[in-house]
Amino acid sequence: MSEAKSVTVLRENVWTSNPIFMQVLGICSALAVTNLLINTVIMTLGVTLVTGFSSLTVSLLKKLIPRKVRMIIQTLIIAFYVIIVDLVLRAYMPDVSKNLGPYVGLIITNCIIMGRAEAFAQSNGPFISFWDGITSGLGYMGVLLLVAVVRELLGFGTLLGYQIMPPTFLPWTIMVMAPSAFFILAIIIWIGKSIQMRQGKGATA
Amino acid sequence: MNAAPAIAPLTLLFASILTSNILLANFLGMCSFIAISKDMNSSNGLGMAVTVVLVLTAGVNWVVLHFILIPLGLEFLQYIVFIMIIAAVVQILEMVLDRVSQSLYMALGIFLPLITVNCAVLGVVLFMQIRNYTFIQSIVFGLGSGLGWWLAIMLLAAMRRKIDKAPVPAGLQGPGITMITIGMMAMAFIGFSGMLKVQ
Amino acid sequence: MDRQGTIYTMIFSFIVTFAFVFLLSLTNQATVGMVKLNQETTRQGAILAAMGIAHAGPQEVLEKFKSIRTEQKGGVTLYTTTRNGETIYAAEFAGSGLWSTIRGVVGVNSDVTRILGLEIISQGETPGLGGRIDEQWFKDQFTDEKVVNGQIQVDMHNAGAPDTSHDNGQVDGITGATITSTSVGRIVNDELETLRSILGGKS
Repeated sequence: MSEAKSVTVLRENVWTSNPIFMQVLGICSALAVTNLLINTVIMTLGVTLVTGFSSLTVSLLKKLIPRKVRMIIQTLIIAFYVIIVDLVLRAYMPDVSKNLGPYVGLIITNCIIMGRAEAFAQSNGPFISFWDGITSGLGYMGVLLLVAVVRELLGFGTLLGYQIMPPTFLPWTIMVMAPSAFFILAIIIWIGKSIQMRQGKGATA
Repeated sequence: MNAAPAIAPLTLLFASILTSNILLANFLGMCSFIAISKDMNSSNGLGMAVTVVLVLTAGVNWVVLHFILIPLGLEFLQYIVFIMIIAAVVQILEMVLDRVSQSLYMALGIFLPLITVNCAVLGVVLFMQIRNYTFIQSIVFGLGSGLGWWLAIMLLAAMRRKIDKAPVPAGLQGPGITMITIGMMAMAFIGFSGMLKVQ
Repeated sequence: MDRQGTIYTMIFSFIVTFAFVFLLSLTNQATVGMVKLNQETTRQGAILAAMGIAHAGPQEVLEKFKSIRTEQKGGVTLYTTTRNGETIYAAEFAGSGLWSTIRGVVGVNSDVTRILGLEIISQGETPGLGGRIDEQWFKDQFTDEKVVNGQIQVDMHNAGAPDTSHDNGQVDGITGATITSTSVGRIVNDELETLRSILGGKS
């Protein structure tokens, strides 16, 4: 794995082509849990690991997978890692597992994972594919953590369960409900895109 | 969770369309939603297709879950089984659509197979499993969620036609303003929550 | 063998599926014990919490639960122990929320005039809205709450901030989650009714 290439991949996945604000991909499964930071942390960590290992596995098997069943096998691989994450959570972090509920299973349908497998892992070596998967996950994680920090801080006054806001703080109920996630995401997209446009990276909608 | 909740099918239908809309309240089904809501006809077609898929997969997956997975103690495989069944249903729908309505098939293009990875579809199946719905409840839930998604995508497509002509700041164009629109729609739908009474 | 041919495709798919399913079964076997233990500790922890018995961590839950007596009365499983010389009871309840079955435990004193505590074991209500019935502030409202006229009232007008008085027989619901909040009230009141008929408390 050459140094230059891995840095490029990192920069691309976390900033230039950040899956969320540049491509608006894969938000489904995680937006719902952004009302609490701890849930978001675990969820995005899960997505990052699944993306990394799925890309790794697809890259390792890419010469063996017949074209006709490519999507199905990729889905199978992704589902496999998601089930592992789910089983591990149920056993060792039951409270978080309960909070995340069905959203862990929904990692399977996260467009990012399939996207990276198709776009990168199918034509690159195993280690760089793993790295690509992990960095895509990081880009994804960064944005969602930001949303979660705002939502938990203003909606509950806490962060990771610890009271941050003074007791006189009246929580913003909107932050607990669905619409706030959309609005905050819109603002993050706005800021991200504006910065990129100013830097001349010329990304259009 | 052993007993199924005693929610009446009609209530469930309206609740899943309005008060707990699969997209506006549960955040599921966004990817294709954002991309295809640019065009009203494709939105209509996709909404219909998603509804059909949802009803079918809710039914089939319920049967498989209760008659195969649970009796054999294979619940841990449910994610794989569910997604495979969804893929199969979508594949069959594609073939039927190709024969029945070529124009719709062409218009939907890549988005038809993408229904397979539409979080809303798998999401509805997983919710059905977690909430332990009966067969009728599952079908109704699938129908309601599909109709709700269809409604949401039609509304968004209609609004985008107007927004595309409005002076939106550069950084906000495209995904940004779409998110804000969806957020406002979500807020509007919350207004429905007083509407339903259970028993 | 032709990598794109049908036979290879079938063999490959079969082997890959088999391999993954096998690995998953192993993982499942390895974790199934812990999962069951977690479920049991959650249940027992809820019963302890509803009776106002503090516990920290799964080990303590198992320890302390040993001192709880279980008895069957009128078709209901009652958990009982003595606290400060008084006999206290707890029973599991289950009822319909908006989306799902809400299961939990309610603890009461011997004549069902005070709720000692409420715990939720499982619910599938809307996350962020109805799902908040599982939050500490909501459940704390029920701790040592007086039962007025045999019922607990769920007040939706002040919803959002917890009702701090424990003598008014009222708790505040969750903003935006009317049906779930009132369902909890209804389920708890039904359970109080049942407990009264079994324990012979005054209405």
